[in-house]
Amino acid sequence: MPSLSDKAWSPYVAGVLIGLLQIPAFLIIQTALGASSSFVTVGDAVASLLDPSLLQIDYAAKHVDATAKNLWQVALVVGVGIGAFISMKMSGARRQPISPIWSRALGSSSSALRYAVAFVAGFLMLFGARIADGCTSGHGLSGMAQLSVGSTVAVAAMFAGGIVTAMLLLRRI
Amino acid sequence: MMGSIAMAIAVGLLMGIVFGFALEKSRVFEPGMIVGQMQMRNFIMLKVFLTAVATGAVVLAALNGFGFVKLQPKAALYAADVVGGLLLGAGIALAGACPGTTLAQIGVGYRDAIFTLIGGLCGAVAFSYAQPWLAKTLIGSGPKLIFTDLIGIPYWQGAIGLAAILVVVLALMERARSWRKDLGANVDGDTPSASQFKGRMVPAE
Repeated sequence: MPSLSDKAWSPYVAGVLIGLLQIPAFLIIQTALGASSSFVTVGDAVASLLDPSLLQIDYAAKHVDATAKNLWQVALVVGVGIGAFISMKMSGARRQPISPIWSRALGSSSSALRYAVAFVAGFLMLFGARIADGCTSGHGLSGMAQLSVGSTVAVAAMFAGGIVTAMLLLRRI
Repeated sequence: MMGSIAMAIAVGLLMGIVFGFALEKSRVFEPGMIVGQMQMRNFIMLKVFLTAVATGAVVLAALNGFGFVKLQPKAALYAADVVGGLLLGAGIALAGACPGTTLAQIGVGYRDAIFTLIGGLCGAVAFSYAQPWLAKTLIGSGPKLIFTDLIGIPYWQGAIGLAAILVVVLALMERARSWRKDLGANVDGDTPSASQFKGRMVPAE
């Protein structure tokens, strides 16, 4: 039996648990599991303090609006951080500040280089997710479970982009 | 109104804690797992992902089949799905994270994930500024299409069918390579086979 203090669970136990989260998402919030639009809600809320005219764009205004769905997803991703922290504390796993795979993947142990790559990666990730209108959660977990045609195309493109980038730009880990 | 928003936030936090717990316990949030998956040498990410899709399909087949919930599929916008998906995938490989797992990485103390998060927020804001133009040129609009509507069968039958296929695929994947072999000594996807592989690249003295 999986225990809360285990260092690792089977991917099948964890996958079932994540899939079951669709029940409260659909029943209570009337939405599907997703993560990337919370970046728009938080990012645009902060940016609109510097440039209030941003909220004249409907897309930004719609995401910053304090609706149940917008704030639910912000709370969800904050909860992800808390849940991962609790799980790590309960298993007693210790992590280095940067995963040891990066010095091999980037061919350099410079943390400044890693931070720069991470920033660019985050930018691409969210710019792409917002063009596609969903990420690994919204298109991947939720879209594929709903047999969505567009989400299946988006997930195929996501893996294609990920595999080509990891093979060409990163060294083998 | 305030009450429903407060409840949505509480539900979101609780669901997120379960989500983050599962991401940490499965180790799928580790950069080593995600980069390893994209280099096709570690399959824990695909196993967690396909299991969650299969579970979600069974759950939604029941909830939708018995009429408790409406489906919420996104519109099929092929150009946007392809272009956005490619950029998202490139970002995932270089971040060693997806948007959701970035927060899990911050939770366990990975410092580079803070830069992924800031980059992500900047990317989301940049998209918001570009959205009116991109909506006209690239994104457009499309129907909320699901595969079972194309074939003309009820959603629940297709969803159960997908789940059954995924269970077979996962069983075959597990038989080809056990998930335990992909964990690595520090359960971070930094697997012994990687260093063995490197060892072979160094000529023996």
